[in-house]
Amino acid sequence: MLQNWASVHKHLYLMAPKSHRIRQLAESTMQGTGKKPRSITTEAVTPSSSMKDSFSKYAEYLNQFNDKRERVVKASRDITINSKKVIFQVHRISKNNKDEVLEKAEKDLSTVKDQHIARLVNELQGTDFWKLRRAYSPGIQEYVEAATLCKFCTAGTLLNLDEINAMLLPLSDPSSEPLQINILDYILGLADLTGELMRLAIGRISDGELEYAEKICRFVREIYRELTLVAPKMDDSSDMKTKMDVMLQSVMKIENACFSVHVRGSEYIPLIGSDDASYTLLGVPDFE
Amino acid sequence: MKSAFRTALILTTTLSHRSLNPNPITLLSLSTAVVSLPLNSTTTATRRTTHCNHLFASMAGGDSSPTSAAVEKQFDEFRHRLEESGSLRDRIRAVATEIESTTRIMHSSLLLIHQSRPIPEVLEKAKTQIDVLKQLFSQLGEIVRESPGQYYRYHGDWRTEAQQVVSLFGFMHWLETGDLIIHTEVEEKLGLNASEFGLDVEDYLIGICFMSNELPRYVVNQVTAGDYDCPRKVLKFLTDLHASFRLLNLRNDFLRKKFDGMKYDLRRVEEVYYDVKIRGLASNGDPKGDQTIQET
Repeated sequence: MLQNWASVHKHLYLMAPKSHRIRQLAESTMQGTGKKPRSITTEAVTPSSSMKDSFSKYAEYLNQFNDKRERVVKASRDITINSKKVIFQVHRISKNNKDEVLEKAEKDLSTVKDQHIARLVNELQGTDFWKLRRAYSPGIQEYVEAATLCKFCTAGTLLNLDEINAMLLPLSDPSSEPLQINILDYILGLADLTGELMRLAIGRISDGELEYAEKICRFVREIYRELTLVAPKMDDSSDMKTKMDVMLQSVMKIENACFSVHVRGSEYIPLIGSDDASYTLLGVPDFE
Repeated sequence: MKSAFRTALILTTTLSHRSLNPNPITLLSLSTAVVSLPLNSTTTATRRTTHCNHLFASMAGGDSSPTSAAVEKQFDEFRHRLEESGSLRDRIRAVATEIESTTRIMHSSLLLIHQSRPIPEVLEKAKTQIDVLKQLFSQLGEIVRESPGQYYRYHGDWRTEAQQVVSLFGFMHWLETGDLIIHTEVEEKLGLNASEFGLDVEDYLIGICFMSNELPRYVVNQVTAGDYDCPRKVLKFLTDLHASFRLLNLRNDFLRKKFDGMKYDLRRVEEVYYDVKIRGLASNGDPKGDQTIQET
């Protein structure tokens, strides 16, 4: 069809001088007998009111659906913004204020869920989960990122998809199909998590919490390793492929940071003395 | 101690920023930096190497923890489920390919219309494919119903084929009746049921736009073959169709693009109509020509 269209176009182009003349002629006649073509149009429309009827049905459908999509996009954007805030809150962590900071982060996270994800659930009302996925996927990914980050910082483990979905279950009306995060969005969210964990690890290292950084390192490595098998099987794996590349960069940044600290740390210890608290975390066998 | 950590950190983070495999120069500069630091005895150096070995062992050895088993279990399940949906998608694609080749056959038999073959004969030939399509669509429906609620997850794999089907059905229906085929009629012809496996409205509309692309060529060839009344009929139909499409509030998407193209079809048909009319051919072919329009 496209080719056909192109050929029509080409055809028009080839006989441009003529068609130009025709257009001029056509325009002048349109102006001259301005009423006539219009009368054809209006007259012609009346008999086919059935066509208009069916099109007004389609119009209604499209309007409703597009409005819904817009509202879902808005909800998704709010989820993104507020999940980002939770992530920033987690990064405020330092050696002495962990519990306090994480407590606030968790509280904020549940606010995101109760306010904004609830709004999304309300819009979707058990339908169009896949049709509107593009509209809400960014928000959900960000939420997965924030939720898994909080969980890792408090418990040191990976928050499972089933666990997140269990938390979302109460938001949905029991009569309709509940909103459940799909595997794809969860995995895409996890891929972004590595970037945040890299920042966290670097922050911890400069705070002297090497043990913590190593824990992050092991965790991130594990996720990366698992995802290498899953990523190629995803629906739109090109998107995931770039994420995997970024992820590897993050993993290597953490590894290199850990490496350099080890190498230099072991040399510094005998010179500096033993009263710095952080060096015991290095797992250095006691000397003296 | 702390400041040493920081400089080491800055060094590694900045240097490792881009490269996948840290180049030898990086390592070299790092190691010379290390060497230039006050190292007073060989014992420290050996302690360092043993220490490093110990640390790397501890870093690598963490995989056997109970959490990683749970993580592995989840990802195994993911892999399993993604493989399942992948094979479902493959099956859908296989059917979609068959639909595509059937529509090609149908299209090629419809193309005979441009060679002034009688409409009933052309339609009859094209219609033989309808049952094949119906059967293929019911196969497609069965596959998609295997994972309920995920129609739109796989939708992209057959939508171009569905649009093509709509365009052909629309053209045939118009040749037969002079009317626009409506959405539910297409569903009916394909044996689809909106509640289970229906035809997406946007696909229907896009298919109709494709159909309109066929009309200018049809008009040109009909006039050449001596049917001077054809442009009037087509123009009326296309004007109606264009007016109806303008009722829709479209987003900036593919459908919008297709609709924007429709006005060129309309203009082309107008030109043919004008050419025919100004030469008095239309009134020769059909003496009542415009009167009928004004009367109805």
